[in-house]
Amino acid sequence: MRNLKGVVVVGVVALALGVSTARSQQLQGEYKIGVLEPLTGNLAVQGRLHLEGYEIMRDLINTRFGGVMGKKLSFVTGDAVDPTATASEATRLATREGVKIITGTFSSTLCGAASEAASRQNVIYWETSCVDPRFTRRNLKNVFRTEIDGNGFGWYNIEFIAKHLAQRLGKKTSELKIAYLSEDSSYGQSVTESARQRAKQEFGMQEVGLEYYTFTTNDLTPVILKLKNANPDVLHHIARDQDAILFWRQAREQNFQVKAVVHAGATGYGNPGFGKAFGNDANGPFALLEPGPGLIVEKFRPDGRLIEKAFRDAVKAKTGSDVLAGGHQLAGGGLWILKLALDAAKTDDLDKFRAAVMSMDLPVGSAVNGWGVKFDDTGQNSNARVQHYMLQWQNGQLVTVWPEEFTTNRAKWIPLGGWDQRK
Amino acid sequence: MGPAEIARPAPLHDIPQLIVSTILLGGIYALIAVGLTLIFGVMRVVNFAHGEFLMLAMYVAFWAFSLLRSDPYLTLVVSLPLFFAAGWLSYRAVMRPVIQASHTVQIFTTVGLSIALQNVALVLWTADARFVRTDYYAAIVRLFGAAFNVAQIVAFAIAVAATAALFAFMRWSYTGKLMRATAQDRDASSLMGIDTDRVYAVTWAVGITCVGVAGVLLAPIYPVYPTAGLQFVLIAYVAVVLGGLGDMAGALIAALLVAAVEVVGSYVLGTSWKEMLYLLVFIGILIVRPAGLFGQRGAEALGT
Repeated sequence: MRNLKGVVVVGVVALALGVSTARSQQLQGEYKIGVLEPLTGNLAVQGRLHLEGYEIMRDLINTRFGGVMGKKLSFVTGDAVDPTATASEATRLATREGVKIITGTFSSTLCGAASEAASRQNVIYWETSCVDPRFTRRNLKNVFRTEIDGNGFGWYNIEFIAKHLAQRLGKKTSELKIAYLSEDSSYGQSVTESARQRAKQEFGMQEVGLEYYTFTTNDLTPVILKLKNANPDVLHHIARDQDAILFWRQAREQNFQVKAVVHAGATGYGNPGFGKAFGNDANGPFALLEPGPGLIVEKFRPDGRLIEKAFRDAVKAKTGSDVLAGGHQLAGGGLWILKLALDAAKTDDLDKFRAAVMSMDLPVGSAVNGWGVKFDDTGQNSNARVQHYMLQWQNGQLVTVWPEEFTTNRAKWIPLGGWDQRK
Repeated sequence: MGPAEIARPAPLHDIPQLIVSTILLGGIYALIAVGLTLIFGVMRVVNFAHGEFLMLAMYVAFWAFSLLRSDPYLTLVVSLPLFFAAGWLSYRAVMRPVIQASHTVQIFTTVGLSIALQNVALVLWTADARFVRTDYYAAIVRLFGAAFNVAQIVAFAIAVAATAALFAFMRWSYTGKLMRATAQDRDASSLMGIDTDRVYAVTWAVGITCVGVAGVLLAPIYPVYPTAGLQFVLIAYVAVVLGGLGDMAGALIAALLVAAVEVVGSYVLGTSWKEMLYLLVFIGILIVRPAGLFGQRGAEALGT
C-alpha cells in the first residue's frame, strides 16, 4: 500500500514536472510590454522595488506559468523621474518600442501623466500601485488599476473598525465615537473623507473630531489636547512619516488615552521607520497594508495559493527575506492579474482586451496577496475583491491581524490601555 | 460635522499646557534663529542653507547615538569644535568667494549649498525618518496639569543661555566689537585695520556652531530626515525678520511670539490655519514696524 502511494506521488510529480517543462518549451516568440517606474531621483527606492517585483513575477510567469498568450513575457523599461519625464517615456515606449501595454508607476504624482500619454497613443495603461482616486475618473477607456484607491483604504479601515474593533470593544457601531486626524495631502484627504462618509452613512458612528494638518508641523500638542477633550474610542489617523513619530511621542507625553489607532498605507504607522523609532513603545497602532507576517496562505483558494507560494519563494530566493516589501506585492500582484487578463483576451487589441478584463470575475483568495478580480466600468478593481489586511505593531514588528481567517496572529491591546502596559 | 465645529472655546484646564507648549516650541525656534540672525546681522547674508546645517547636526547626533551609543548631550560637547571647523571650512570654500558679490549671487550660493547638502544626505542616508530614542525620550515633568518634555526644557534653557551669551559676546568682547564695527561699515572697518575677512569667517563659524548645537538638541525631540531643516528654518526666518535683523533678544522674543500664534491658532482654529496666522502677524507687524519689533531702521542696508 505504502509503495503504491509512493509510486502515485512520484508519478504525479513527474507528470507535473513534465507539464511545466512542456509549458515552458511551448513558449513561442516574445511578448513585450513597457514598464514605467521612477528608477532615479527621489522616488527611486520605491520605483526599483516595484521593478524588482515585476521582474520576479515575469520570470515566474515565463518559467512556471506558460508566459502570456503562449509567449515569453519581456520588458522594456522607462525611467519615470517626474511627471514630464514620465509622459515622454510613456510616449517613447509606445511609439519607438511599439508596446501595446504599459504598466507602472506606483506614485500618485506620476500615474496621471503616464496614463494620459498612453491614452494618446491608444495604448493600454495597467496601474498596479498608485492610489489617487482621480486616476480612474477621467473616462479613459485604456486605463485599469488592480490596487484599490485612497477611497478604498478608507472603506477598509471602516470595515475593520465596524466589523472587528466595535465588537472587541463591546460596543455597537452607532455607539462608537471616532475622531479623524490626517495630514492634508490628497492621499490623506481621500482616505479620511471616504472613511467619514462610510462610517456615518453605513454604520452611524459618532464623529467627535476632525483635524487636518501639514505633515511638516512641529507641534501636535494643541491637537492632542483637543482630542483628549473629544475623548474618542477610535482615532483614525492618516500620517505621512515624521508626523506619526511626532504625534506618538507627544500623545504619550500628554497621556492621551484612546482605545485604538487606525492608519492606512505604507507611510506613517505603516512605515518600518515607525517601529525603528520606538521599538516596543510602538506597540498598538494598526495599519492597512498588503499581507504581512502571520498570513496563512493555505486559506487562499487553490489558484491563489499556488501563485502566492511560488511568488513568496521567488522573492525569498532573490532577496533572502521572508518578509515581502509592499512594492514587490503590488507590482507582482498587479502583473499576475495582467497575465490572467491577457490569457483570457488572447489579444492586446484594446476593445477585446477591455471586454475580457470586464468579464473577469475571481473571488477573494484567487490571486497574489489573496486578491480577487472584478473591475468596474472605470477600470477600477473592486474594493471588496482586492483583499487588504490590517497589520498591527507588535513588539517591533508589523504583523497581520485581520481578517482573522487569513492569519495566525490576533489583534492585541484592545482597548490600548496605559502607555506602559502595552508589552 | 465640519472642521469649523471642532473649534471650540479653550477649556480652562488646557491653558497651562498651551503656555508650556508655546515656551518650549519657541525655545526651539529661538535656538535656530540666533545663529541665523548673527550671520545676517554681521555679514548681511541670508543663509538659506541654515536648515541643512541643522539637519546635518541632527544626523551627527543620530549616528553618534546609533553607532557609538553616545548620548546626544555628550555628543553636543564633543562636536562643538567639529561644528566650528565645519563652519570655518564652509565659509572658506563657499562663502568667501561671494562675500563681496551682490545679494542675488549670495542667495544663489546659499540656496545651491542647501540643495547640495540635502541631496548628499539623501544619497548617503536615504529619505527615511530616523529618531534618536534615548532611554529618557519620554521623560516628562508634570506641573500644574501641564507636561514638560525634559529634552525640550534643556533645549529651551540652552536657547536662552546661548542668546544671552551671544548678546554679551557682541556687546562686551573685543571680537564682538570688531564684528559690530564690520556690520556697521565694512570698508571703514577695513581702513581701521580690522581683518574683515577673518571677522566674517568667525561670524559664519559661530553661527553654524549655534545651529549645530540646535540640531543635536533637537535630535531626541524630532525625527531626522534629509529635508528636516526646512520645517524649522522657515519659521526661524520669520522670527529673525520679526525680531529685527541681527537682534538676538529680538529673535528670542519673536520666536516665542510665532510659537504662541502657532500653538493658540492650532488649538482654537485648527492646525491647518497656523501657517496663515503667523504669516499674517508677520505681515501686520512689518506694516507697522518695517524694521521688525526691535530692529533699527535701514539695518538691512548697513555695511554694504
